[in-house]
Amino acid sequence: MSWLSGLLIGLQEIREHKFRSFLTMLGVILGVASLLAMFALTAGIAAGWRSTMQQIGGLERVGINDKQVSLEFADLAALSPGRTLADAEALRGIPHLVSHIAPEMQVGATISAPDGATVSARVTGTWPDNFTVSQHEMAAGRFLTDLDLERGARVVILGDAKVAELWPDEYGTDADFLGRTITINGRPFAVAGILARYEREQDRRRRQALARGDKPPAGQAMGGRGPVGSGRRDMFSWKNESVIVPLSTLYHEFRSGQKDTPPLAMAKLDQLNFRVRDLSRFDETLREVQNLLKGTRRGVDDYDFDTREDWFERMETSLRSTQLSGGLIAGISLLVGGIGIANIMLASIAQRVRELGVRLAVGARRRDVFLQILAESTVIGIIGGLLGLGAGVLLLALLERLAPLESPPVIEPSAILISVGFASAVGVLSGLYPAWRASRLDPIAALRYE
Amino acid sequence: MTAIPDTPAAVDLRDVRKIYGTGPDPVAALDGVNLRIDPGEFVAITGTSGSGKSTLMHLVGCLDTPTSGHVSVAGEDISTAGSDRLARLRNRSIGFVFQAFNLLPRLDVQRNIELPLVYAGVSAAERSRRAAAAAAKVNLTDRLTHRPSELSGGQCQRVAVARALVNDPALILADEPTGNLDSANGADVLRLLASLHAAGRTIVLVTHDPAVAARAARIVELRDGRIIKDAKT
Repeated sequence: MSWLSGLLIGLQEIREHKFRSFLTMLGVILGVASLLAMFALTAGIAAGWRSTMQQIGGLERVGINDKQVSLEFADLAALSPGRTLADAEALRGIPHLVSHIAPEMQVGATISAPDGATVSARVTGTWPDNFTVSQHEMAAGRFLTDLDLERGARVVILGDAKVAELWPDEYGTDADFLGRTITINGRPFAVAGILARYEREQDRRRRQALARGDKPPAGQAMGGRGPVGSGRRDMFSWKNESVIVPLSTLYHEFRSGQKDTPPLAMAKLDQLNFRVRDLSRFDETLREVQNLLKGTRRGVDDYDFDTREDWFERMETSLRSTQLSGGLIAGISLLVGGIGIANIMLASIAQRVRELGVRLAVGARRRDVFLQILAESTVIGIIGGLLGLGAGVLLLALLERLAPLESPPVIEPSAILISVGFASAVGVLSGLYPAWRASRLDPIAALRYE
Repeated sequence: MTAIPDTPAAVDLRDVRKIYGTGPDPVAALDGVNLRIDPGEFVAITGTSGSGKSTLMHLVGCLDTPTSGHVSVAGEDISTAGSDRLARLRNRSIGFVFQAFNLLPRLDVQRNIELPLVYAGVSAAERSRRAAAAAAKVNLTDRLTHRPSELSGGQCQRVAVARALVNDPALILADEPTGNLDSANGADVLRLLASLHAAGRTIVLVTHDPAVAARAARIVELRDGRIIKDAKT
C-alpha cells in the first residue's frame, strides 16, 4: 500500500467524522493561527522599524559625539579644539569611504512671517550634504546648494511642521510658500525649499483616509492622536521642525561678532554626521575617520561614534524576544493540539480494532496499518494547519479593525511555510504512537474484538 | 500412503502442536495434528467448542504459527514465518469468509471486494475490473455502490465471498459462514460455496454444525486438539 492510498483512507475517515475531526484539529488550528499572527505582527514591527530607520538616515549614518576625556588624560583635554569644522574638512580627504558630510551648528531663534505667525525655533546651519545624510525629501523648491554656502546666502529650508506654525491659516491649502520672506532674529531670509512631511506609513494612510472623508476606524478616533504637526513628538519631529540655513550664513549672521568668537574653521559644531559610502567597509571607514581625527583633535581621545548598529541590535533583540514569547504560546497550543490528535487517534483505533483486524486478515502488513494511521493523523495536522492559516488571517484582520496597530502586520511566505510545516510535523509526531499501537494488533484478537 | 503428487498440497500439516500459555499449566490447543488437503477439495473441519478447530483454522489461514511441527500452505512452509510473510500469504493464497461477514461499514461493496487487491498493490483500474468480475460470480453486480448497511445478511456474506475470491487464492477459508444467517440465506451461501468447489476451488469450511459439515466432500472432526475422524461423505 502506498502513502497515497493511506492519505486517501485518512481523508475518508475525516470526512466521515467531520465534527470530531474539527474538534481534534482545534488545538492545531489555534496554534497555527497564533504562530502566523505572531510572525505577521513581528514582521510588521520589523518592517516599520526598518522604514523608520531608513528615514532617519539608515545604517550608513554615523555621528561624531563628544566624550568625557578619561581622568588620566584630563590635562591634555585642553589641547583638543573639540568638534569643529576642521573635522568636517578633514573627512573630505577620504571620499572613497565617506560619501557625505553634514556638520551642524544650531542657534535658538525667533522666526516670524510678516504675513503669518511668530514662533520660536532651533535654526540649523549645515552643508548641502545634510540632504543625503538625513535622508531628506523635498516637498517643494530646493535644498541648500554649494553656492548658498559659498555666498552665505540668506535662504532657509523649512520643515512641514514649521510651515504649519508660521502660516496656520494657509497651511494645507494650495498656497505657495516658496520665495516668501521670513525673519530669523530680525534678519530676512527667503524660503527656498519646503521639506516633505515625515510620518510613519500608517499615519500617512490614516491621514489620506481622513482627507478622502472616510470615517476613521473605531478605536483610532478615541486614540487622541492629532494630525502630524500639532505638537505630537515622534521620531520624525526633529525633521519636521527643521529650519535650515547655510552653515556659513548661520555663523556670520548669528555667531560671529560676539566677543572671543573663534574663526569659522575653529567654531564648535553642535553635530557632525557623515554617511559611510559602503556598508561592507563600515569598520574600515570608522578606523580611517579615527586616523583623521587624531590629527584634528591633536591625539586627544575626546569623541565617540554614534552608529545605528547598536540601535539595530537592540531592535533585533527585542524582536527576537517578542518572537520567542509568541512562539512559546504557539508552541504550547501546538503541543496541546498534538496531544489532542494522539488522544483521538487512540480512541479511533480502539473503535476500529475490528476493521484493522479485517485489513490484517486480507493481507495488510504491520507497516501498512502503521502508515494508514500515520497518514490519517498527518492529514488532520495539515488540514488543521490550513484552517489555522485562515483563522490567523481572520484574527489579524479583526485585530487591525478593533485596535489598529502601530505597524501593520506583514504575512511573509516563510511564515506560512513554517506554520503549516509545524502543523504537519505535529500531525506526524502525534500519530507515531497510535500508529505503532495499531500496527502491533494481533489479527486473531482483532477479528474477535467486539 | 499415496504417492506424493506433482502439485503441492493446498494445506499440509505435519505433527502440529499449538500450546497456549506458559508456566505450570500450558494448554495444548492442537496436539499432534497431521492433515493434508489437496487442491480442489471441499473439506469441513468440525468439532465442539474447545476442540481446537479455531486454532487449526488460524494456522491454515496463516494468522498464526505452530508451537512445533510444520504447516505448509500452497506449498510454502509457514512454520517460522514472520508477520510480513504471513500477511503476504494471507493476501495471495487465502480468501477468508467470516461468520460476522467483517465488511468495512464505510466502504461500498466494490471497495470492500477490492480490499485484498489494495494490499497486493494492484492498480485502481485493474482492481475495479477484478472486483466487478468477482461480484458477478456472486450475483451482486447491481449492488456495487451500496454500503454493507444497505444490504441483507445474505447479500453481505456474498460480498464477503466475492472479497475472498478476488485475489484468486489457493484456498477459501470459511469460518461458520452460515452462523449469522437464517436458514434460507445460509443454504444460499452453502450453495454458492458448493458451486465454487464444482468450479475447481479448494474450500475449507469450519463449523460446529453437522448439517452444514455434511455439505462438504470430506469431514475432519477434532476433539481435544486431535483429529478423531477424517472421512469422505
